[in-house]
Amino acid sequence: MAAGDSLRDSAVFNLSGAITMVVDDSPFSLALTTGVLAGFGVRPAFTIGRSVEARRILQEKPVDLLLVDTDMPEIDGFELVRWLRRSGPNPNAFTPVIMTASHIRRSRVAEARDCGANFVVTKPFSAAMLLERILWVARDDRPFLEVGDYLGPDRRFRNEGYEGEERRGRLIRPETVEFA
Amino acid sequence: MTVITHPRRPSRLAEMIDRPGGVSVGVALAQAQTNLDALKDQGLAIIVENIAALLAEQEPNIPEAARLDNAYAASGQIIDAASPFALDDLCTAAKGLCDLLDAAPREGGFDWRIATVHAQAMKLLLALPADAPETPQARTAIMANLGEVLKRKLPQAQA
Repeated sequence: MAAGDSLRDSAVFNLSGAITMVVDDSPFSLALTTGVLAGFGVRPAFTIGRSVEARRILQEKPVDLLLVDTDMPEIDGFELVRWLRRSGPNPNAFTPVIMTASHIRRSRVAEARDCGANFVVTKPFSAAMLLERILWVARDDRPFLEVGDYLGPDRRFRNEGYEGEERRGRLIRPETVEFA
Repeated sequence: MTVITHPRRPSRLAEMIDRPGGVSVGVALAQAQTNLDALKDQGLAIIVENIAALLAEQEPNIPEAARLDNAYAASGQIIDAASPFALDDLCTAAKGLCDLLDAAPREGGFDWRIATVHAQAMKLLLALPADAPETPQARTAIMANLGEVLKRKLPQAQA
């Protein structure tokens, strides 16, 4: 299924009140993500170029959605998310996180899987795919598990087809969702 | 291994998305595309700049690891800048180069002609006129050649 196929053009959503943080060391990528989010009716409350600054704010302010680049100097995206998940009782410890990556080094694939993000998406990805992922993580009700070094959403997905009439609200979830 | 299940608070996003008001998916995607289109020239400039960086003469004293990291960063920036604008061939070429640079030995021995070939191919992909009848065939040929390079060089680099 191509990205975006699970979204109907007429489906309506409201993210205008979402307190969103975008963390990316590239000003251009920050502008791209912010532009796409603005199209979705989301005005990011925090657009940040450094993880250190993101950490400070995440300790002080509530955030509903976090979009983080993986590859950043000093504290990279994986480390930031790993810290966030273990930052309880900070309520942001459970905040939905989408990580974006232009490329993931082979040596870091395990980190991408284990850092605790709800999703890691690699580029190229379209605005439709990003919207689909945002709506997906919004409804993501997987429990948080602590297993060894891992703390984050349950990484096991069950994708079972449903034969009956589709009666869920506005969003039809894709049948298959992959992690990392 | 012990598994601890943490009680999950309902996400505020989940409650928020069904509130009255908002925007339809069709309108949201159209607005997002308009916002992206406004950044296209800037994106193309970044791509050109990073292709030039890959083709530039390197200082002789720069350590191999730093050179690999610089080229990897340039290639990553090309992916960042190309991905929102449906420049998929360019993204594929840059991704292939990232794979090769990532797999290269950091102590030296990477065949830098590979980076040059990729950069020249990306330059050509960018320059091909979109509406010329021979463009699709040229794109296919370029991508096939890069695919061959990747197939031949990646296992060696990983060895």
